[in-house]
Amino acid sequence: MTIEHATKSSPKRLSREREHAWGVFSVSIALALLVVWSWIESDINIDRLAASGVRIGDFLSRMVPPDLTVLPVVIEASAETLRIAVLGTVGCIFFSVILGLLAASTITPRFVSMPVTWLLATIRGIPLILVAMLMVGAVGLGPLPGILAIAFHATGMLAKFYAESIEGVDQEPVDALESAGATFLQRMRYGVWPQIAPDVVRDTLFRFEMNLRESLILGVVGAGGIGFYIQMYVRAFQYEKVSTLTIVVVFFVVMIELGNNLIRRFLR
Amino acid sequence: MVLLGSVGLMASSAVLLENLTHRYAGEIRPVLVIDKLEIEEGSFVALIGASGVGKSTLLRLLDGRLRGWKGRASVLGHALSARTAPPRSRRSEIGYVFQEFALVESASVRQNVLNGRLGSTHSGWSLIGRFSDVDQSAAEQAMRDVGITKFAERRVDRLSGGQRQRVAIARVLAQEPKLILADEPLSNLDPVNSKIILELLRECAANRGATLIATSHQPRLIAPFVDRFIALDGGSITFDGVPSAVDEGLLASIYNDDDGKDHSEAAE
Repeated sequence: MTIEHATKSSPKRLSREREHAWGVFSVSIALALLVVWSWIESDINIDRLAASGVRIGDFLSRMVPPDLTVLPVVIEASAETLRIAVLGTVGCIFFSVILGLLAASTITPRFVSMPVTWLLATIRGIPLILVAMLMVGAVGLGPLPGILAIAFHATGMLAKFYAESIEGVDQEPVDALESAGATFLQRMRYGVWPQIAPDVVRDTLFRFEMNLRESLILGVVGAGGIGFYIQMYVRAFQYEKVSTLTIVVVFFVVMIELGNNLIRRFLR
Repeated sequence: MVLLGSVGLMASSAVLLENLTHRYAGEIRPVLVIDKLEIEEGSFVALIGASGVGKSTLLRLLDGRLRGWKGRASVLGHALSARTAPPRSRRSEIGYVFQEFALVESASVRQNVLNGRLGSTHSGWSLIGRFSDVDQSAAEQAMRDVGITKFAERRVDRLSGGQRQRVAIARVLAQEPKLILADEPLSNLDPVNSKIILELLRECAANRGATLIATSHQPRLIAPFVDRFIALDGGSITFDGVPSAVDEGLLASIYNDDDGKDHSEAAE
């Protein structure tokens, strides 16, 4: 770069840096105002917060000892929640494979991938509880609306993850297979799949864990699982039963997480 | 002006190009302008020239992966189309060694070599990982020929650059091609490994009666191995002759730019 060129570009660079600084400052002020507005409008009363300690202590004391007589019911309800999460995940994998392939701009024409991407964003925007209520209205009470709600809602995220994995594939090995005469399916199987498999398995396990946590509350709207009992015992102030329920749920979620971690370690 | 060495009339041609031009979209100058080029079956030809003169574009055209060119092109006795890829059965007759190896990094050496068989194996069975005895023995032979049998089960991402290049060559040999196109096969190798790979390529191609066309920025290194040099400049052939006709003056005219700097790798 010549000295003349450098001196000419310096004011431009300074102006860009100034604009950037103003941008950062403006965004910081806007965020601070948002926090202040949220605090004021939410009518948060520090005195009430401080006084709640006594009540929380009272709740906790009533949770001990746990009422183990409900253990068989809670275990059965937890198993139903697990079944909802498993079948919901299977459903969302099925739809995500199809929609993920269609949303991947590197292998699908833009006029197809763009609308599918918007569709997935729309699905993600609909709250799970709303989907579950609609499904209960459509197919009645029980685990089926829960499974359908999970399958529908989770597809929005999982298909996006799948599409991003496909888009991140190194194209050269795939071109090499095409050059050798491989068909489209062979290129997917031997060129694309080995590259995306670790990401796909990791994302699917992550989504399964999310589905499991989300299915815990589906029973609140009648879509099956342990949520029904959570709602029932809390409303009846039967905290010793809530205690048993909490222990089972925590044990159950931790076990699933440990299992998933083992699988992830194996894949590495 | 084309400088001609002593290349005689050819018995049968692996490659025949006539009145061929190609221009990339949005570009004013064509990247390839070839009046006539004929390459004899079973010969080893080096394509040389500075970066961006059309060497890799010419190889992609011969591999049937370039679209929109004009003129006549015939490879292994079959006319190429500027609009569509060659049929699957003919694609496996041409092997392409990619500059950056283009291997599936997370797959084993054996699987990468077997990938070379995808063009000729049964598409359905291959999708569930089944390859015929013919495919298995072709892959074994290819691995033996390039000396990688001892780490056949190792993942490719655990190999050195020289070992990866051998795997890339073995994948092409497993195709049992009649024409091998190698794009800068020495670009990632040190001089010792470069000579070993050149010897390997020449020997494997000769044993199979295959024609070998390789691009290179190292004309002095490659000269003892090849039957013929073709130099490109601005997409046109500026020299076509035997290695003995290539002297320092000619190399300087091929690689020197206006400021007299030598751009061949050997000079560096």
